[in-house]
Amino acid sequence: MLRVLKPGLQTTLQGAPRLGYRQYGIPYAGPADVVSMALANRLVGNSRDATCLEITFGGFEADAEEACSIALCGAVGHLSVSGTAIAAHETVHLNAGERVHVAPPAAGARTYLAIHSGFQANAQFGSTSTYLPAQLGGHEGRVLQAGDVLRSTKDGAVYSQTLQTPDAVRPTYTRAFALRACEGAETHLLAPDSREDLFGATFQSGRQPTRMGLALGGHQLRVSSDGKMKSAPVFPGTIQCPPSGVPIALLSDAQTTGGYPRIASIARCDRHLLGQIRPGDQVTLLHRTPDAALRDFKEKQALLERWLLSGRT
Amino acid sequence: MSAALTRTRIADDVFEFAVQSPKDAQALAQQLRETGYAEDVVAGLDRVAILFHPDQFEQVDAWLSGIEHVPSIEDSAAPLIDIKVQYGGEAGPDFAAICAALELSQDAFISHHTAVEHVVEMIGFTPGFSYISGLPDTFEIPRLSNPRPRVPAGSVGISAAFTGIYALAGPGGWPLIGRTDARLFNPDGDVPFLLRPGHRVRFVAA
Repeated sequence: MLRVLKPGLQTTLQGAPRLGYRQYGIPYAGPADVVSMALANRLVGNSRDATCLEITFGGFEADAEEACSIALCGAVGHLSVSGTAIAAHETVHLNAGERVHVAPPAAGARTYLAIHSGFQANAQFGSTSTYLPAQLGGHEGRVLQAGDVLRSTKDGAVYSQTLQTPDAVRPTYTRAFALRACEGAETHLLAPDSREDLFGATFQSGRQPTRMGLALGGHQLRVSSDGKMKSAPVFPGTIQCPPSGVPIALLSDAQTTGGYPRIASIARCDRHLLGQIRPGDQVTLLHRTPDAALRDFKEKQALLERWLLSGRT
Repeated sequence: MSAALTRTRIADDVFEFAVQSPKDAQALAQQLRETGYAEDVVAGLDRVAILFHPDQFEQVDAWLSGIEHVPSIEDSAAPLIDIKVQYGGEAGPDFAAICAALELSQDAFISHHTAVEHVVEMIGFTPGFSYISGLPDTFEIPRLSNPRPRVPAGSVGISAAFTGIYALAGPGGWPLIGRTDARLFNPDGDVPFLLRPGHRVRFVAA
């Protein structure tokens, strides 16, 4: 059981995506960085999408009111327990009364805090994930506040093991991201030089990245849209290009449909990295055919699953 | 029987069919959902997207290769739902400008909008947002060049010839003609969504 002292800029509970409700306009939600959440859960013996804390830009502090086992993955700055530094990517056993502190990271945007057995959360439409615009899931559908008490599903239980994420699957972040991407449904609406720039230019992440979308500024594209495009399906990973010429990459809270040309899609293998991009970070897109992108996904998935599924029956 | 379908790959893990109408999109999406190979099936106004897990690429590709036409569905008796709208004023800050652009008096617009039976074509964008057809195709109302950062829940807008209802408060780019008290999205209710694609809608001036 954790009592929140400092919630940070935006901390929410996230679990599995809310699948199957896009036809009603309900986005998936779930972690902006699905890989980091899975890694954090692995270290405390949980299934990969057990409900975790998603902490944006650090600044989080909480007291353990009972003994518990936690792990921190994703973007990491200085981490400490009652003033003593602790490592990310390692199971941490907290005693009652100890205080965990997550300082802002120097690179990357989101830190995932997993607790053994997972956090209790409000499940709505089949998922505990917080979707803030409709106040669904999580802790009363909102961002965490000082004073909130977060219980785990087996309060008082500690994990019997102390694990570390293997180096081979431990991600590190810088202020530059190269993301594999495929052409989208309306890539042909880009002017020829913009089409080359899409996979060549260096974009700069906009000032207000949200869980819904991330503006790719710094290099304006020219898109010839007659404005009559009908609203079409979009997903996390879709890159839309409004008439402003500043593309927007969609994340886990992506709206379900949109009327702007869908000029590209971040490949599934690299979609989790979108959740770690900070304002001002450099972003380049690496062109992949859809088949090559799926091979890349399977490679990454195999590497990750060797760890996530190890020691399980 | 409708025209043969074209299918494209719009992402490494998404296929998409192009169809002729919102009704076709809903019918095809429904059929695809019943088969169950997809992670998700989402209908747009004239597209149907199929998200799949990479491990299932071959199965999904073979399955979709067998889909050549939009299924014909019987027109069932869809519910008719009255939506009370307060037109203009503070509730519809763009109402006067829209009427002026259409060269209609405000009363004439309201009679137009309330006289016909509309049809819900799609739910999308955000939870419960409803795209409703019924206005003449000659209406070509453009979106606002500067979307509002926040429109109240229940706001009723017009874009092209669609009437749209914002189920939630949030950012919005559709010019607003009014507001309804009808609750389109009630997450804790037995029926969370008041409107579904295919439902008929009658607007009533409040």
